[in-house]
Amino acid sequence: MTPFQHGRPLPAAPAHLPPAVLSARGLVKSYEATRALAGLDLDIRAGESVAVMGPSGGGKTTLLHCLAGIVTPDAGQVLLQLDGATTDVAGLDDRRRSALRRSTFGFVFQQGLLIPELTALENVAVALMLLGVDRRGAEHSAAQWLGALGLGGMEDRRVGQLSGGQAQRVAIARAQVSGASVVFADEPTGALDSGTSAEVMDILLRSTTGTGRTLVVVTHDDDVARRCARTVHLRDGRIVRDSLCPGTAA
Amino acid sequence: MSAALRSASPRAEAIGGAAGAGVPLRVAVRLAWLLAKPSANGLSSSVLPVTAFAFVTALLLTVVAGGLAFLQWQDETGQLYLALAAIATSLLVVPLMTLGGSAARLSARRRDGRLATLRLLGAPSGTVAVMTVAESMMLAAVGALAGIVGHLLLLPLVQLIPFRGEALGGAVWMGPGPVALVALGIVALAALSAVLGLRRIVISPLGVRTRQQVPKLHWWRAVVAVCVIAVVSVVMGNLGGAQDFATVVVVLAVGFGGALGVLNLIGPWAIGVVARRQARSARSLERLLAARQILDSPKAAWRQVSGVAMTCFVAVFAGTGAALMNAAGPLEGSERFLGDDVRTGVLITIVASFLMVACSAGITQASLLLDRRDLYVGLDRLGMPTGTMEASRTRAVLLPLLVVSIGSAATAVVVVLPLAGMALIVAPLSVAVILGCLAAGVGLVVLGLRATRPVLSHVLRNPAAAL
Repeated sequence: MTPFQHGRPLPAAPAHLPPAVLSARGLVKSYEATRALAGLDLDIRAGESVAVMGPSGGGKTTLLHCLAGIVTPDAGQVLLQLDGATTDVAGLDDRRRSALRRSTFGFVFQQGLLIPELTALENVAVALMLLGVDRRGAEHSAAQWLGALGLGGMEDRRVGQLSGGQAQRVAIARAQVSGASVVFADEPTGALDSGTSAEVMDILLRSTTGTGRTLVVVTHDDDVARRCARTVHLRDGRIVRDSLCPGTAA
Repeated sequence: MSAALRSASPRAEAIGGAAGAGVPLRVAVRLAWLLAKPSANGLSSSVLPVTAFAFVTALLLTVVAGGLAFLQWQDETGQLYLALAAIATSLLVVPLMTLGGSAARLSARRRDGRLATLRLLGAPSGTVAVMTVAESMMLAAVGALAGIVGHLLLLPLVQLIPFRGEALGGAVWMGPGPVALVALGIVALAALSAVLGLRRIVISPLGVRTRQQVPKLHWWRAVVAVCVIAVVSVVMGNLGGAQDFATVVVVLAVGFGGALGVLNLIGPWAIGVVARRQARSARSLERLLAARQILDSPKAAWRQVSGVAMTCFVAVFAGTGAALMNAAGPLEGSERFLGDDVRTGVLITIVASFLMVACSAGITQASLLLDRRDLYVGLDRLGMPTGTMEASRTRAVLLPLLVVSIGSAATAVVVVLPLAGMALIVAPLSVAVILGCLAAGVGLVVLGLRATRPVLSHVLRNPAAAL
């Protein structure tokens, strides 16, 4: 991780709030004639669960991709503060952003994007093997995560042999097995029925904010957003509403 | 509840009736045309199979035309030339048909997803069948036409090749009838392959859509293959007792062709066995991914490298033939050109084999990358380095390559041994040709893999097209 050197100074967090783990400053991103992000500022605090909502084309997924270092913004900064060091994610080269995604971030996508020819256990172990953990150790940790998420006994099933909800739980385990500090989820329940959706959100929240990690969820689903501590509404690449959800712990 | 069911029943009957009657043929053909159009389908899904069919047609026409050109000589030496040409042609026709089959499957496979989706939406199996066959035949026909043009462009070069002291010349031109027949054969092969591939979708649309089914290859493949090779070897050993020359030619051609065909049977099974072992013992991510990718479809893994298997098989014959001519010394009379001509024939056979290898490796790799683009984009987002993806992709090809190269060379030795004896097989010239061909074949496949690197970079640079 490269220590932050040239970033805009971060505002100090109020005494009663934890510090921001991710801060977006003046993010601008365009795709040809379409402006996806138009100078967006956002602070996401450690241990917080944030739902990003808004109409299609409003910039939700682009924001998530910029925060996670999947794409670089045309202008602005994404500052990651971890272990006393600040890193400008957007300023890192491709190789370092990849390394950051492996070590610090976890991802849950709508389609799961699990590797179809691998078993559930191997799919989870991949995240650790990418960090250099040997296969035996990686599969041991992966098995523990699968067991914790209610998938004990399904380790040897291939992705095609799992239901949608089970596959998403495998994706959740993969996102966190390497100890990711921030988990990004893009429509994690988009392909699931309401019952399974609630179950997957339970597991996602319990395993992230429930253990002090940070969760950023892009969703169209009000029920999913209500489960998060905070909801950010985007329209035309800007935040139009940023509200805390009553009754949520984190 | 029962009232609702009763009220719904006339509609249900109507739907059942429509399904029972099936979708009109013109609707199926119209749908096929819609899916085949590049604008609706993405250019790559049509261009790749068409290119593959074009290569197959051009090479097949040239090989068959070259073989038939030897019919011009009716004397005794001419019959020997014809026998050698028949052997060379049989060595090349089987891999060409394999490559043709790959092209046909490529064409059908690229439509698997959408056709399975249509089945899930309720399209009758007849509609899906008509669409699949029609699309594959359309693509094959376009490819075959392009292949004929390619053959016509190659023809002047082939006509320059000297045999028996003079250029082959106009004897290489088969005439429009046989050319059209070969092109129709390619289209028929595409249709047949589409029908065979279709069974999976018609029987289980969900199976194809979600890739639940893990292909299983039975060990009987190995038993059948060993039996066939043993029979071919015994027949070759007793060839000296044959009474007439025509019988010898037919037995040689069928024997070599049969042994090559058997490689197709045993190859995927052997690759699967080795990959399963590798998957169990893999320590690194690249090895695990490669082994699992092979196990996902050992047949597909085999098709990627089958060209090299064939080349290794051909190389053993080529090397032994070269050593034989070397040992025979200078000949006289009508056979005085035989030494040079055998060397020319060997060279042509190997060059044609290499062309097939290059074609097969490039097209299959590009196709695989495009088929799995969403997966590669997803892995990139997880932070998997491009180097790891490349390493697993390379391993997924090199492991089967190693298995089939050694296996096919060994098979060829078993078939050639009764004919030529061990001394000729292990002669320095023979060994040099075999190893040279092996190295060139492996090198070509690696080059084919390298050539597709930009495709991976393109996929990763344009993730929106994948997801």
